[in-house]
Amino acid sequence: MKGITNVIAVELKLIMRDPMSAFFALAFPAIMLWVKMRSGKPLPGGLPAIDATVPMLSVFVIGLAALVVLPATLAQYRERRVLKRLRATPASAATLFGAQWAAHMLLAALGTALLIVIGLAAYGLTAPANTAGVILAWTLSALSLSAIGLLVGALVPSGRGATVIGLGLFFPMVFISGVVIPRETLSGSMRAIGDLTPMAPAVEAVRDGWAGTAMSPVALVVMFAIFIAAGGVAVRAFRW
Amino acid sequence: MKVIEIDGLSKSYKNRKAVDGISLTVAKGEIFGIAGPNGAGKTTIVECASGLRRRDGGTLRVLGLDPWNDRRALLQRIGVQLQEAALPDAIKVGEALRMYASFYDRPADWRKLMDEWGLADKERAGFAGLSGGWKQRLFIALALVGDPEVVFLDELTTGLDPSARRMTWGLIRDMRDRGISVVLVTHFMDEAEALCDRIAIVGEGRVIAEGSPRELTAAGKSASLEDAYFALTGGGTE
Repeated sequence: MKGITNVIAVELKLIMRDPMSAFFALAFPAIMLWVKMRSGKPLPGGLPAIDATVPMLSVFVIGLAALVVLPATLAQYRERRVLKRLRATPASAATLFGAQWAAHMLLAALGTALLIVIGLAAYGLTAPANTAGVILAWTLSALSLSAIGLLVGALVPSGRGATVIGLGLFFPMVFISGVVIPRETLSGSMRAIGDLTPMAPAVEAVRDGWAGTAMSPVALVVMFAIFIAAGGVAVRAFRW
Repeated sequence: MKVIEIDGLSKSYKNRKAVDGISLTVAKGEIFGIAGPNGAGKTTIVECASGLRRRDGGTLRVLGLDPWNDRRALLQRIGVQLQEAALPDAIKVGEALRMYASFYDRPADWRKLMDEWGLADKERAGFAGLSGGWKQRLFIALALVGDPEVVFLDELTTGLDPSARRMTWGLIRDMRDRGISVVLVTHFMDEAEALCDRIAIVGEGRVIAEGSPRELTAAGKSASLEDAYFALTGGGTE
């Protein structure tokens, strides 16, 4: 693990230098927030739209960083033989995975922070009722979705292929799992399908933490299980 | 003292024998050349010796270690420049050196290395914007950043213009002068003749001839190492 902070810092800089990644993780969610709030009616049950939208879009940011940007970075490194060169150093696959995960999640944290700042400044966002719960839920969301992203990045040979697969996972998921459209307004059948996606427990747990309602232990356990299973397979399947 | 001892090395990909019973030794502090036509098995030898590939047969010792089973320990002590390897486009020269230095237990001083190899002016230049010659300089510096005892260079000068090649030759001699043993894979006989203390000429996975440039030239009763090479590999008679 020696030197991993240095690798994380370099990888984060590399991500921020790529205009597409920065747009995806920072500008795109902020634009989504603006679009959602233009027609922001309170949810059924009276919750102000902003108090649901910021937690929802924080999972949107995690999803973009974890499922779209992260696998594309890893696969592009493989395609360009960046990984091959790294393999000839004492750096381990665990260091590489850990650094990629941390760098992309720092990106997601920046995107989330931006959403919160805009929410507070422009739309009267209410502070989370259970801050520790939100942080726990956010971190587990980041772990579980990134493990899936690492798995895609571990297997797909080209950067373009990884982007296609990443977007193919991300977009259907955000629409049916309550990340873009609040769960309360989804039809019953949509919600039933959406609940089977790994984003459903993420958005559920972050929103529960924000609203101060009891967090479902099942959602937290499911996220942890996804992290262990997908992460374990990713480390085993990884090819330099 | 031998830094590399290879005895009966073999390696196949699917049904093709890439390396078929190669034996050679590299002494401490020498520049050892591996030359031969495309597909002769040169890169496979380097990849097996640097722990990147697992051999099928034979024995292999680099600095007394088994490259596959003792990979971690060996990678701390060798430097590798690979054919067509790359860095991320947006990484800067200084960042790459510093990051690679962080992988080693006892790295060289990367700033000093950057100065010595003339890269100081390029510290803040991005990898994608470097010319071929500067990229190779950076790759040499990265191969040295772990303060290695043995360095493998695989077709370092392929694709460089003549002046960049000459410059690179000087850098490789500098390495030897610092006591580093160098294994140099090359296509170019002028390069092998100018740099190498000893050369193995390989073809179809076997060593065809081995010796100093002078010995090989004399043994082939040839005017130059290049003529001797063509006589040995049959490459010039087609």
